[in-house]
Amino acid sequence: MRETQAIVERIKRVNRGYQRLELAVDRSLSALLPGQALLVRRISKDYAAEIWHPYLRDLWFPVDVLASNILVVEQPAREQFVPGQLLSLLGPIGKPLRFRQKLRNLLLLAYATPPTPLLMMLPPLLEQGTSLTMVTMGSARDYDCAHLPEEVEIIQASDDHSWGDMVMTLGWADQIFALVGEGPELIRFAEIMRLIRSRRSDVPANTIFGIFQRQLPCGVGACQACMLPVRPSARLQCLDGPAFDLTQLRLA
Amino acid sequence: MAIEIARPGKTSLIVQTPVMPAAGTLGFADEYRSLIDYASLGALVTNPTTIAPWRPTAGTRVVPLDAGVLAHTGLPNPGLSALVRQYRRAWAKLPIPVVLHLLGTTPAQAKRAAKLLDAVDEVAAVELGLGDDVGVDEAVALVRAAATVEKPLLVRLPFYECQELARPVAEAGADALVMTAAPRGTARDAEGGQLVSGRIYGPLIKPLVLRMVGRLRRELPADLPIIGCGGIHSPTDARDYIEAGAVAVQVDAATWAQPKMLERIARDLGGWIATRHADALLDEWHPDMEPAKAPHSRGTS
Repeated sequence: MRETQAIVERIKRVNRGYQRLELAVDRSLSALLPGQALLVRRISKDYAAEIWHPYLRDLWFPVDVLASNILVVEQPAREQFVPGQLLSLLGPIGKPLRFRQKLRNLLLLAYATPPTPLLMMLPPLLEQGTSLTMVTMGSARDYDCAHLPEEVEIIQASDDHSWGDMVMTLGWADQIFALVGEGPELIRFAEIMRLIRSRRSDVPANTIFGIFQRQLPCGVGACQACMLPVRPSARLQCLDGPAFDLTQLRLA
Repeated sequence: MAIEIARPGKTSLIVQTPVMPAAGTLGFADEYRSLIDYASLGALVTNPTTIAPWRPTAGTRVVPLDAGVLAHTGLPNPGLSALVRQYRRAWAKLPIPVVLHLLGTTPAQAKRAAKLLDAVDEVAAVELGLGDDVGVDEAVALVRAAATVEKPLLVRLPFYECQELARPVAEAGADALVMTAAPRGTARDAEGGQLVSGRIYGPLIKPLVLRMVGRLRRELPADLPIIGCGGIHSPTDARDYIEAGAVAVQVDAATWAQPKMLERIARDLGGWIATRHADALLDEWHPDMEPAKAPHSRGTS
């Protein structure tokens, strides 16, 4: 964990709602892996006049690492950024996602949130020959996936969170990563677990992981605001997350 | 520089710089070790601790505000005995005194905690946190019970009752007063849609607490140290508290947004001088990252 600065180098609109920023970052951050995040705050060029917006740092999950010191992040298009803008970064936050050794079929679920934290894993897994399916549910369906690799199968769930071949999709998946929006996360993860259990006979441990993206005040385990009810003992999203085995979570 | 931040009488609590973190912001031990040089701080004030284990609160814990943040964690901790077992080795390695923040629950528990903490050499002092809405009688009973500890007892006053409680608490045995705990407030969680209550942190707290510190400094006995806490975001903010009569300050949530700011404030108030190279790039200049010169003596302190 270090505090470093980054410069916004390039900005590119990728769909109607999102833009990608290329950030020149400290070399130490080029080793960032899928699942790891950064706590970001914008700063002014004048050190003495650092602005206090946002008061809390934003949690950003990079979507790609281009070169040794270029990270790509995806942000809503409504957010204003300009090339040359300075950012203060705390990171890396959290642990990398753990994939099964012989992963063949991976299912990604995004419910009521843009799937951004899931995107960094796509290129390396496709390179390994993993079959990837992404299901968008609720307001996640508004996210335009046209810029994602075409090898990724994209499915939009219906209003009742079902989709065609649902039993097959859920049954074939060796591993599932689910992402839900902020707010009542445990309730939403519980809904997802119910959905999966109703269509799949066995849900063994280390198969379905929920990725948390709560707002983190400190990111180092000091404030305890991100403590989660995990069996056998509570764990912190910032240190032990962001992914937790949903069979081990005390869901709402 | 050596500053005594507790009333003489018991064992003293001497710090090298009058800046420390507020309880609940820096963790239980050295969680910030990769971001902050602990040696630059006056002391570590731990996260709040209770005799029995406390679980985190359910529901929303953090709500961003226009100029600050609302936090409601439920103060999770493993309970005092387990906490001491878990962290005493880390405390022993810290280059600064450890002030354990004890939540005032009942007088019996406070007394029990005092006895337990007397046997923990790694803890230099105890900070008793009084709950919000605590009455005068209840506060006095809690302080009397906690004051059985042989170590210096700091008492953190609740924001809204600060004025009313300061003198009775001081007379009940507090060796220093911490003014104040972050005020409680309520805000709507935009994501979940419900109202959430919790502690409010932000720059606007400072003028409110600063006024209290100034006023109570004039009213309370001169030998009772006051530690200012609330809305400090810069060395200037901290100096304002010292000017108002505080002997030291505690920095709260500013550390979350800017970890180095705590160290920077500590170095500034500790008399450490940092310089910026004329041609330094922005990211090369953090006063706190520079090899600073040793503090100069400022006469008696």
